Amino acid sequence: MAEFECRLKNYRQLKNLTQEQLAEKVGVRRETIMRLEKAQYNPSLKLAIDISRAVEVPIEEIFIFD
Amino acid sequence: MKKNKVKIWVGCGIFCVLSVLISSWYAVTYNDSRLVAPMDLENYVFHVEDLPMIVSVSFICIYLSALFIRLFIHKGKKQRQVEETGITCRIDPRLGFLGMFGFAGFAGFWTYSVDGTIFPFAFFLFFGFFGFFYEGKMAGTFMDERFRENADRARLKAYGITFSILLIALVILCQGKPFGSLEYTLIAVIIILSLALALGIFLSEYLLYCYDHDDQADEGEE
Repeated sequence: MAEFECRLKNYRQLKNLTQEQLAEKVGVRRETIMRLEKAQYNPSLKLAIDISRAVEVPIEEIFIFD
Repeated sequence: MKKNKVKIWVGCGIFCVLSVLISSWYAVTYNDSRLVAPMDLENYVFHVEDLPMIVSVSFICIYLSALFIRLFIHKGKKQRQVEETGITCRIDPRLGFLGMFGFAGFAGFWTYSVDGTIFPFAFFLFFGFFGFFYEGKMAGTFMDERFRENADRARLKAYGITFSILLIALVILCQGKPFGSLEYTLIAVIIILSLALALGIFLSEYLLYCYDHDDQADEGEE
């Protein structure tokens, strides 16, 4: 799996969203959001776009690949 | 299936079994055990007294065929429902106890020593049903992309292990040398095939459960 840094947690908290709420918005389980925040899961392009729309932050600012 | 329908199916099943039992008793008591004891069916001549046995056996054949078709349709409906809702179907984890039937495979050693029958060894396949314990635990889970990815990963790993075991076992056994007897080799092939397939069925469920639940202990709710 590609190593990356995920700043989703910060942006999610800025939007006052819980993991559960964000999960519901983007159509995944809470566990998936949790894994994403720990950078333990590499999301599909569609999920990454959905997340960036949900927190209103560009993808490249949420997921930072070296 | 609705409870009423289940009751009807169970009732029909009981009726069919009872009709076979009663007609067998009738055949043994009043009809010289015709169609119960082994007989030469090539020279069979119809007797009116055979009618109860013929009718009851027909009932049970029709019932089993209908039950098989019903289960097939039900399975198809469930599959469509899973695809539409994106949620895994509800399965009782207690179905995993069906895996106990796998121990019936050991009966093969007894039947082989008594009359050379080897098909009971195939019962080892039932060990795969232990996978229901884990499939049941994953029942009602929303299948998001991570779940589907994990399911594919688990299936691939399970198939990889199964086919590796099969390949190694068949290469060794097909030389016919390990046991020096073709019959023993056939028995070994049946046992290994059954156990390897059971392992494949079990592992695909078990690994999916593990991948989905690994380090979930430190998952924090927010």
